[in-house]
Amino acid sequence: MSRYLTSRVAQALLVLWAAFTASFVLLQFLPGDAVLIKFLNPELGLSPEQLAEIRLAYGADAPLWQQYGHSLLNFLRGDFGYSMQAGVSVAHSLATSLPPTLKLAASGFTAALLLAVALSFLSSQLGFGWLRSALQSLPSLFVSVPVFWLGIMLIQVFSFRLGWVPVINPGPWEGMVLPTLTLAVPISAPLAQILIRNIDAVLAQPFVAVARAKGASRTWVLWRHVARNALLPTLTMAGILFGELLAGAVVTEAVFGLNGLGSLTQQAVANQDTAVLQAIVVISATSFVLINLLVDLLYPVLDPRLRTRLEA
Amino acid sequence: MTSHAFLPQATTLARPLAALALALVLAGCNKAPDTAAGAPAAGAATAPQNGGTLVYLEQQAHNALYPPNGGFYPNGGILNQITDKLTYQNPRTLEIEPWIAESWSINADATEYTFKLRPGVTFSDGTPLDADAVAANFDRFGLGDKALKHAVSEVINNYARSEVLDPLTVKFHFRQPSPGFLQATSVIGSGLVSRSTLALSLDELGDATRIIGSGPFVVSGEVLGKEVNLQARDRYNWGPVKLAHQGRARLDAIKIIVTPEDGVRIGALLSGQAGLIRQVQAYDEKRVNERKFPLYAASTRGVNDSLAFRPDNELVADLKVRQALLHATNSKEIVQTLFSTNYPQAKGVLAAGAAGFVDQSAELAHDAERARALLDAAGWKLQADGIRAKDGRPLALSTYESLNYVQNREVLQLVAQQWAKVGVKLNVLSGDLGSKTIDSLDPEKIALLPAMVGRADPDVIKSNYYPTNRNLLLQKGGISQKVKSFEDRKLNGLFEAIAAEPDAARRLELTGQVQRYLLEQAYVIPMFEEPQIYAGAPWLHGVDFEAVGRPSLYAAWIAPH
Repeated sequence: MSRYLTSRVAQALLVLWAAFTASFVLLQFLPGDAVLIKFLNPELGLSPEQLAEIRLAYGADAPLWQQYGHSLLNFLRGDFGYSMQAGVSVAHSLATSLPPTLKLAASGFTAALLLAVALSFLSSQLGFGWLRSALQSLPSLFVSVPVFWLGIMLIQVFSFRLGWVPVINPGPWEGMVLPTLTLAVPISAPLAQILIRNIDAVLAQPFVAVARAKGASRTWVLWRHVARNALLPTLTMAGILFGELLAGAVVTEAVFGLNGLGSLTQQAVANQDTAVLQAIVVISATSFVLINLLVDLLYPVLDPRLRTRLEA
Repeated sequence: MTSHAFLPQATTLARPLAALALALVLAGCNKAPDTAAGAPAAGAATAPQNGGTLVYLEQQAHNALYPPNGGFYPNGGILNQITDKLTYQNPRTLEIEPWIAESWSINADATEYTFKLRPGVTFSDGTPLDADAVAANFDRFGLGDKALKHAVSEVINNYARSEVLDPLTVKFHFRQPSPGFLQATSVIGSGLVSRSTLALSLDELGDATRIIGSGPFVVSGEVLGKEVNLQARDRYNWGPVKLAHQGRARLDAIKIIVTPEDGVRIGALLSGQAGLIRQVQAYDEKRVNERKFPLYAASTRGVNDSLAFRPDNELVADLKVRQALLHATNSKEIVQTLFSTNYPQAKGVLAAGAAGFVDQSAELAHDAERARALLDAAGWKLQADGIRAKDGRPLALSTYESLNYVQNREVLQLVAQQWAKVGVKLNVLSGDLGSKTIDSLDPEKIALLPAMVGRADPDVIKSNYYPTNRNLLLQKGGISQKVKSFEDRKLNGLFEAIAAEPDAARRLELTGQVQRYLLEQAYVIPMFEEPQIYAGAPWLHGVDFEAVGRPSLYAAWIAPH
């Protein structure tokens, strides 16, 4: 088990290094750079000499390998540099945007999970042909709904017209209600889809027929037998989706004015703020790696058949 | 499978689903009036009340709060409440009035300015705002600081040094006449900050809590990228001398919240969740007017929203081509299609309220026939595909959209349609900021660019077009390496004369000459005046705007509602 863990951690570090290097290289290929964009702006009216001095101060024209080495060393030391656009250290920007993103990701994901489970179990419970297919086509509807439209509609109805939830300056949990709903809808769709298919697949297996024959009710079979089997592929999907959520729900954040990782990324991309982008890439890669590790560790817990393989 | 037991479940499921669907559909139809807020109360009290917190919704977050970067509206909105300036430019008369400086004297050729400061002014950290502090501020704005990455302020020209004569008297020396300096001390970029703030590098000035000014409000807290909280400063007692309101600000606090989505900002205002919002698009004005919420269209009193040519580009080097395109542009159609009455059609290079404005509506007439005649005379023949060509080269120009300017993409697309009618193709490019910044410096790639700037002084026209300033026409002598040869000595001579002329009347006359020359040479196509549009709640009173449209909330107050 510890050998397994060690090798996974080593893999994780390799992935992080690769992500860092790849993003550094790709960002260099973009025309211009953050210093140029900020200071070449004619509104500042700088002379060519002043511009050259500024570029020197930022080390913008140092050879690539030097910039890369410098950047990598700083990252290892925990110094992420400064955001050219925002005028604060990258660490400060991240410290302010990570908590809202984590909060939103956690609540959005939980709500999506609940919605997906409710949808899939309900659709397998109900016998009605037409209602079943109606429920089973809901995931397609949910994934097609544009996130920004849903967000704005929810705000219009529940905040502006009905006045149930304030959207400007809300309390810490009040402010989560609408964004969570907005995120939960499209995220629940793939989860629900997979769950429904898997439940159907497992229900068709012989052992379920045996359990029913022994006198188990439909519900009992669902919860006791089908759930754990159907959950496995869903877990993998959930891992991927949670990683995406952590990377930032850009549109939701723009609509609700949340200062999370998504809006930070969007601004950094628009301004080619390399320092911020590198930090975000590393964070996103880390979160994906950690979540995948967690999922892989959870699999044996859920499925006894996988446990012996590890112990071997 | 027994299904009848689940029948009640089905119907209980259907009802909420149907209700949700119906609610969402209704939300989309704007026929139902907003019932949540009720009828807006008249805010009946006529006497100003003290107290309350104003929620002000901004469209974007601020960035580094170095005062000369106050031109960016989110920055200016904060800086205007937390800093004071040496002088105050009356937004209605454009006269310069006393503020931190009680009086001043200027020598005959505008190379020496002496200011006498009012006593007793302090920054919010307790340090005095005296001659030393003022000198330190202007030394920085006038000379910059390489190590701290502080650039020279755009509005200060030819600064040499400061001289402290006594604790309340400071003198500034200039290498060349600098007649625009008095007005420069009143602009947002000259907000006075404490020594500790000046010691911060540009990389650290993005933290609003570290900006110490002497203004009526103080930054009490910030959530980066989301909100800035301002608290009224109790000891404040040095507002602009001629203002009716003096002493502490009326509001207790201002909460500036970043709300990027237009619909959410307006909805928040109309449903009572906010008191003031910035940036109401022309197509949203009707919603605000229907509910009788006041709309403030603050003029920016500078150069109009226009298209500036790069005469270094071969295709537009010909005067006839530029004149043709000027007459092919129908500004009236642009304003009527895309904007509202708050966006007046351009009557000249400058806004009608700008210092030194000259009315040149006659030269800006839309005349497609004349445009076609000019292009024919210049040798550009209409081809089968509808685009003119000469020597095998089509008359196709490229420009980048500039999302800083209001509805710029739509404006450029409409202009492209208008020019297509006379046989000229305009490619409207939208790219990442990096490509745009680099390509815009190359006249061969980008033949024209949208431009607009606000500043209520004749210097504004120089800062837009002079080679070492914004250099919109891309003349030789600026930061671009790609300019081959274009240079207009006559124009630059006029700019230099304006910048050096101490006599106010003569300066205005020279500004008039520049405007006439710019249109004679058809270097620019002015289209419309771009105001800053705000909307407020009916119970918010006393909101004012400085000369270039930034909100001044010193005298603002909230009526009971």
